[in-house]
Amino acid sequence: MTSPYIADSLVESAVGLVLVEAGNTRNAMTVSFFSEVAHHPTALWVAISRKTYTYSLLEESSRFTLAILNQTQKALALHCGTISGKQEDKCKALKLYKSPGDFLFLHGALASTGCSVRERVNLGDHTLFVADIVESHIDSRKAHLRQLLLSDL
Amino acid sequence: MHWPGRTIWDTRIQSVCGVLSADGDQGVEIYFSATFAQVSFDPPRIIVNPNRMYAIEEMIRRGRRFAINVVPLSEKENLIRLIRLRRRQTHKPEQLGLVICKDEHGIPFLQESLRTIFCEVDAEIPSGDRSLYVARVLESRRNPKYVGQQPLLFGEIAPSRFPSLHKTVRKVAIVTGGLDLAKKLVGKLRPSPPANIAKTTYEQAGATEPELSLIRSYGLLDRGRTLVPPAAPAVLTKKVGICVIGTGWGSFHCQVIHQVSPNARLFICGQNEERTARLARAVRAEAYFVGIENAVADPRVQAVTLALPHDLHRKAAEIAASAGKHVLVEKPIATTLADADSMLAKARQTGTILMVAEDMHFRPAIKEAFQRIARGDIGEPLHFLAHAAGVRRPRGWAANVERMGGGILMDIGVHYVRGLRLLMGEPNGVIATRAMQIDTKIAGEDNAQMIFSSEAGWQAHMLLSWSSLRGHIPDIVVAGEKGTLHLWPGASYLDFYPVRPTAILRLASYIRPYWLQAKFMREQFGRIRIGLRDKESGYQGEFREFLAAVAEGRSPVSPPQDGRRDLEIVLNCYEALSKHTSVAISPPASNLANGMPGPISGSDIRRS
Repeated sequence: MTSPYIADSLVESAVGLVLVEAGNTRNAMTVSFFSEVAHHPTALWVAISRKTYTYSLLEESSRFTLAILNQTQKALALHCGTISGKQEDKCKALKLYKSPGDFLFLHGALASTGCSVRERVNLGDHTLFVADIVESHIDSRKAHLRQLLLSDL
Repeated sequence: MHWPGRTIWDTRIQSVCGVLSADGDQGVEIYFSATFAQVSFDPPRIIVNPNRMYAIEEMIRRGRRFAINVVPLSEKENLIRLIRLRRRQTHKPEQLGLVICKDEHGIPFLQESLRTIFCEVDAEIPSGDRSLYVARVLESRRNPKYVGQQPLLFGEIAPSRFPSLHKTVRKVAIVTGGLDLAKKLVGKLRPSPPANIAKTTYEQAGATEPELSLIRSYGLLDRGRTLVPPAAPAVLTKKVGICVIGTGWGSFHCQVIHQVSPNARLFICGQNEERTARLARAVRAEAYFVGIENAVADPRVQAVTLALPHDLHRKAAEIAASAGKHVLVEKPIATTLADADSMLAKARQTGTILMVAEDMHFRPAIKEAFQRIARGDIGEPLHFLAHAAGVRRPRGWAANVERMGGGILMDIGVHYVRGLRLLMGEPNGVIATRAMQIDTKIAGEDNAQMIFSSEAGWQAHMLLSWSSLRGHIPDIVVAGEKGTLHLWPGASYLDFYPVRPTAILRLASYIRPYWLQAKFMREQFGRIRIGLRDKESGYQGEFREFLAAVAEGRSPVSPPQDGRRDLEIVLNCYEALSKHTSVAISPPASNLANGMPGPISGSDIRRS
């Protein structure tokens, strides 16, 4: 069966979680609109709908983590992609830990990358966050797995 | 276990593999990308980030339209070839044999893609060494041929000779923790500095604005290449009546003709009847002639090869062409450009083939090196070294500078000029110098050294000598950022020294103590010897091509303009030698622009 998520999308892509912490509030949101910006300065972008709770937290903190999910983490992606953080603390169900740079990193993700927002650009229904890559962790026991894809959902 | 990510590739944000395609002034440009993604639903937009060191970025900026071709799993090998391809290689799709299509969008796209997304740029966000293009999606089209097939992912493109074995071993090492253990051990032997993604990524693949300006100043595409060696040796299907004019070097011509076409109808022509008759008997010629006029008057003779003093090339070629005979002339084409132009004009006027016998064009090692350079094995070619030396004492007409047109530079240098043009491209300037003259019995130079330069960023050094020996070193070396090629005269192989150490050298680098390691760090362990598929020599290739062109009534793959251009560059070298200063080499003018006759097309050639 074709995934409803890929049917709405222009192109297949990897799936990740954006983890944001603003003050005492944390949230996790499933995303597939992200990619690389440049090698120098080393940066990535992520596009977030302005209707989301994550967007408001990002506006406040300007720091986030992009955790790339592996192919076995479908349930986690669906959970964080279908419930709003305003209704439930989704992070409670996640195995999170703090990185040396004080970012929220996810156990079991292929990689977790801590970023600092440099620029915001409004593009239609989403806002593009261009962010410098600060630090990253790789889970060496998951390195043989491929990324979770939109078509897996 | 968590390890710190050291580069942007450790973040795993690169996912689906694609090829960006766009139109440019040099044809269609393509570029590998695993970093494109949708950015909004309403309106549907997508973002790409082409590298500013690549021509595609400029083409998207100028043309504003491009396509993203999502690569299916089955096209993995082609994608790996594209990734390895030289950054400044022109005509990349043709080089890889990829089929490019165009439809109502007017945007070039790959036939073999899983999905094609046609885009038009809405906005550009300057972002350092990449440009972030936000593009409106004109159409996203799925290829019915690949229904059910998954896209290729960035993590799956690591090339391996045994992919299944590689995948299994890696999985076992990861799951059992063996990889972690190995990493720890290596870390103890060679402790890594603290992770710094920005710094390491920049050092490995990033560029600052001043660096980008420098890189781009050499051109995003190397447009200096005009020559291509033949893809495959010609196939001889018919007998050709061929007369060798000249009984000195002509005997070598006879030998090669017998090798490539044992059934050819061979004739000999000379000035001295006794000597000509003797050679005719020795090479089992069908007949011999005294005087070129008699040879070209014989209807059995379809073509001639000229093995004569250089100053006679023009007169002999024009006599033969006037009689409707095709001509293979020894290099150099002539001693002056005026003579060369006259020969070209006569060939066009009479509808006959004129080809310059330049074995370098057909040398199997040159062809192999050309292909390896084009596919990116040595990265950007930077240096060309040619060393042609051997003690030789030219006498007779060859000692006469008027008849020879010069010395070693005219006689031998012209070969290496062709090799230089084939492997590196057209030079833009030359400086020349020479050591003391040892052979004072010849009026021409017995040695010369040239340094050629190119606006494309490479340099070439050519050392020619009839008064010293080369010894056991290659006659041509091409060095690039990723490896070096050694071409050996007469050898059935060439040597490749990759910059990335071979497996043996990588293992040896872990050996301690260092005195033991030194025993394993041998030069030959860093060498890859490549056998040449074509077993024929360049001489055989050139004769085979000429005979096939005559038999088929077509232009040879190397038109006479190639020989004229070689001569032009050699004459520039002589100018540099006499002026003791650098001399600019004008770019090869288009045939019509400089009043020269254009290449002879197949339809212009009179069938024999």
